[in-house]
Amino acid sequence: MKVTYNWLKDFVQLKIAPGRLAEKLTMAGLEVVSLKELAGDFIFEIEITSNRPDWLSVIGIAREVAAITAAKLELPKLPSLSPVRAAGLGEFTIEIEDKKDCPLYTAKIIKNVKIAPSPEWLRKRLELVGCRSVNNVVDITNYVLFEYGQPLHTFDLDALRPSGIIIRRGKDQERITTIDAEERILDRDILAIADKYAPVAVAGVMGGVTTQVSNNTRNVLLEAAIFDPVLIRRGRQKLGLQSEAAYRFERGLNHKIVEAVSLRATSLILELAGGEYVLNRSCGSIKVKNNSVLLDVKEVGRILGANISASETKTILSNLGFNMRAKTKGKFLVHVPAFRQDITSAIDLIEELARIHGYEKIMVSLPALRPKPILETARDRTCLVKNILVGLGLSEVITHSLVSSQLLSDCGISIKGTIAIKNPLSKEQQILRPTLLPSLVRCLAYNLNQKQDYIAIFETAKVFTLSNAGTPQEELFLGIVICGEKSLLLTKGLTKEESGPRQLKGITESLFNRLDIQGYSFIGEGIDKAAILLGQEKIGAITALDKEVLLRLDIKNKEVFCLELCLEKVLSAMHKDRKFSPLPKYPGIERDISIIVKEDVSIREVLAAVKEIGAGYLAELKISDSYQGKQIPQGHRSLTLSCFYRLGDRTLTEAEINPLHAQVSAKLKERFGASMR
Amino acid sequence: MDIELIKKEAESRIESSSSLDSLEELRFKYLGRKGVLAELTGSIPSLPVAQRADFGRQVNALKEDLSKLIEAKRVSLSGPLVKKSSRGSAEIDLPGLAQGLGQLHPISQVTGQICEIFMRMGFAVIEGPEIETEYNNFTGLNIPLEHPSRDAFDTFYLNLKSPLLLRSHTSPVQIRAMKKNKPPLAAVVPGRVYRPDATDVSHSCMFHQIEGFVVDENICFSDLKGVLEVFAKAVFGSDIKMRFRPHFFPFTEPSAEVDISCIICKGKGCSVCGRKGWLEILGSGMIHPNVFRNVGYDPKKYTGFAFGMGVERIAMLKYGIDDIRLFFENDLRFLKQF
Repeated sequence: MKVTYNWLKDFVQLKIAPGRLAEKLTMAGLEVVSLKELAGDFIFEIEITSNRPDWLSVIGIAREVAAITAAKLELPKLPSLSPVRAAGLGEFTIEIEDKKDCPLYTAKIIKNVKIAPSPEWLRKRLELVGCRSVNNVVDITNYVLFEYGQPLHTFDLDALRPSGIIIRRGKDQERITTIDAEERILDRDILAIADKYAPVAVAGVMGGVTTQVSNNTRNVLLEAAIFDPVLIRRGRQKLGLQSEAAYRFERGLNHKIVEAVSLRATSLILELAGGEYVLNRSCGSIKVKNNSVLLDVKEVGRILGANISASETKTILSNLGFNMRAKTKGKFLVHVPAFRQDITSAIDLIEELARIHGYEKIMVSLPALRPKPILETARDRTCLVKNILVGLGLSEVITHSLVSSQLLSDCGISIKGTIAIKNPLSKEQQILRPTLLPSLVRCLAYNLNQKQDYIAIFETAKVFTLSNAGTPQEELFLGIVICGEKSLLLTKGLTKEESGPRQLKGITESLFNRLDIQGYSFIGEGIDKAAILLGQEKIGAITALDKEVLLRLDIKNKEVFCLELCLEKVLSAMHKDRKFSPLPKYPGIERDISIIVKEDVSIREVLAAVKEIGAGYLAELKISDSYQGKQIPQGHRSLTLSCFYRLGDRTLTEAEINPLHAQVSAKLKERFGASMR
Repeated sequence: MDIELIKKEAESRIESSSSLDSLEELRFKYLGRKGVLAELTGSIPSLPVAQRADFGRQVNALKEDLSKLIEAKRVSLSGPLVKKSSRGSAEIDLPGLAQGLGQLHPISQVTGQICEIFMRMGFAVIEGPEIETEYNNFTGLNIPLEHPSRDAFDTFYLNLKSPLLLRSHTSPVQIRAMKKNKPPLAAVVPGRVYRPDATDVSHSCMFHQIEGFVVDENICFSDLKGVLEVFAKAVFGSDIKMRFRPHFFPFTEPSAEVDISCIICKGKGCSVCGRKGWLEILGSGMIHPNVFRNVGYDPKKYTGFAFGMGVERIAMLKYGIDDIRLFFENDLRFLKQF
């Protein structure tokens, strides 16, 4: 909303410089987003909040200016005008189909006007507030709209077919060309102003081209009405239209001033365009609730933590146009003026008091919080996971939850069971992602393009799926993708470590051990794919991406490895109370076995077999080396198993362990065809 | 052999020893397994029985003396805690050996810092779902479904039979938390939110918010001012100025937008603050009685305040980042700066 310094002066004596006024307005809740000096005037551009339609007028802002600068508001005296009778208009009727849609419609007819350019002062004021000058009659309706905030419309009376106005819903596929020269298609949800045959305006939004006031117009019909805010809003949304009029109708108007505003415009027309005022018709009636609100001074203190005295309360409210009288001690009955339909309860008045008293005058305090015991939350655990991953050398990324169906199909992911967005802004935001990996791989591709030679990134975020019953579900997931050679500068020189699934396995193990997750395993599912199990349940997977998929994502000559885990399941399996286990009292004996087995021998089964034999004695078992290459026959693998034997209640002797360890070797030979190295 | 003589000689040689290596040689010579003292002990059986005990004591005393002496010398040769290096001093000019630490996304870091500030004041950190109902996102928060006050909250709807949506702010978690718990309540809520905004330097269809609210008896506007002042000074420094500007939000009344003096130009006016000298950092206010009614709290008994901020905006101001898209592009050269 734009308003000028000189226009405000019509209604309030300004003893304050424009810059200072702008500051005061901002601090009263009318944020002045710009102040410009132009053509001997100052233009204030003010952001008006949606609860204050009364501020969408010069008079409304002047009322506020009066309250915050302790000046008097001077409202113009309205002319008393009566129509002179003219022949041939006796039949003129106004018909409202549904009074809910249009509680009040007034029409005034002025004959023999002379359409001409507006005088300089009128054109200048409108142009300063950003409104294009058209001609004297149209300009007058716009001028009064800005002045009072009540939209008006004028029709060329002779273009309306006899004899009257009908306010009705649009008919399906009914067409009207609006004054912006666009053809609009109406329906039952859009309110129209019509003559006997066709719509002549989209009510409260925009007039039609056939009845607009032009240079040839002789006789005009001036409309001033009240329409249902929700209906106007729906209609203009459906038509994709916005106008100064609709903007005000949607927000709600002061029903009481319709007639006065209409008279104000009539008198201006008579003054600037001549003619005779010959008819005043109206249909419907105004129903203004006379709201009264009980204000308890104690309540003001309870909400604000600041005391505003009874006399200041009175001053502030009466300057804002409220009438009030004391009920009992410390309580006032406040009568709400018609232009303040936003005030319905005491809290609304408390805001008015705080605003004018000044937020800056309210002191600063700290609440005495009574916190409840705060238990560890899922977020704390997620943060822990993220910090562990960062410690393991991964970079966190944040990618969009919305993806294109193209990206999913490029990654070979079906969109069945995904959740689509009803009103996407672009193809990039069509679908709520059912997996984190496509976005992560795309992020990786971006970084490869920036010539990064090693990329290891992760994201923790929700993924979204539809359950079988069709209800949407969101679950917290962890995704990791790695690619390239990690360069490590070690004492022995630069070492390059190629990315592979075992890095991801190592990351998972470090993470799970740190979180004290028990009972997890990795099960190979064919080449380059492994499931991560928690007990018997699959909670994630490690995969190497298919070359075709990589090509579709513009990744060439690179291998990419991914991990995806249901983080919620991991977090709920976290051991929340760790217990201390006593340190071993007795020494143990370490024995290594180096074997060569065929490469398709399941290492998991080898380990399980060793554990089975060593049960009761074997405290730790790990693979301390694995090797394929020179000196090892083709298709075979060398493994070194480190077995650590220990008892909890006494020192083990070599004599006890030697036969047991021999049994291990024998079993490996027998069951897995292992040869000892 | 004369014990006294051996002692004198050993003492003088230890005293004049000039390096840890030569000291170690002396230790070996005298106290080693085949050293001088071992030899003396070995000679005991050849002594007359009457002398054996006395000689043995003298040898033991000498052993103890020399051990102490060598240890004392070792300390004086070593200096405090520093290993005598065989490497040259240029070694330190070589790059440190890789430890390969990653980093959290700047949005995670800033979210963490902000939550931490409020946790120190006694707030809990809670979260809520990203798919929400119209009730929690709008109606429960006193935002009528068909009203201009909704225009600020353009929303993505899901293509489902039930009218579910992606939350356009973190405020629905207020409704969830209040319905689930009785006051007192003090919580902050970080999370992703979604709005169908065309992407540009300052808009993204997904971004992060942190919501905060306190409900109890006797919570007032001055408390809101105090808590937000602690927050803003912790994030932007204690020398910033603040102002609370009246504004309108359907779910709070009185409502305030909070500005800080521009951290770039210190309030003089620059391009970052649009020549105003002030930067808007968050929206806030006293929780509207209708919101309390909607969750079954008695507004006559309880009062409370709420606030919400965009994490990207705070991070952009804090680090001087001029394009929101950088956060979601995830260029490692960008991420590694934080």
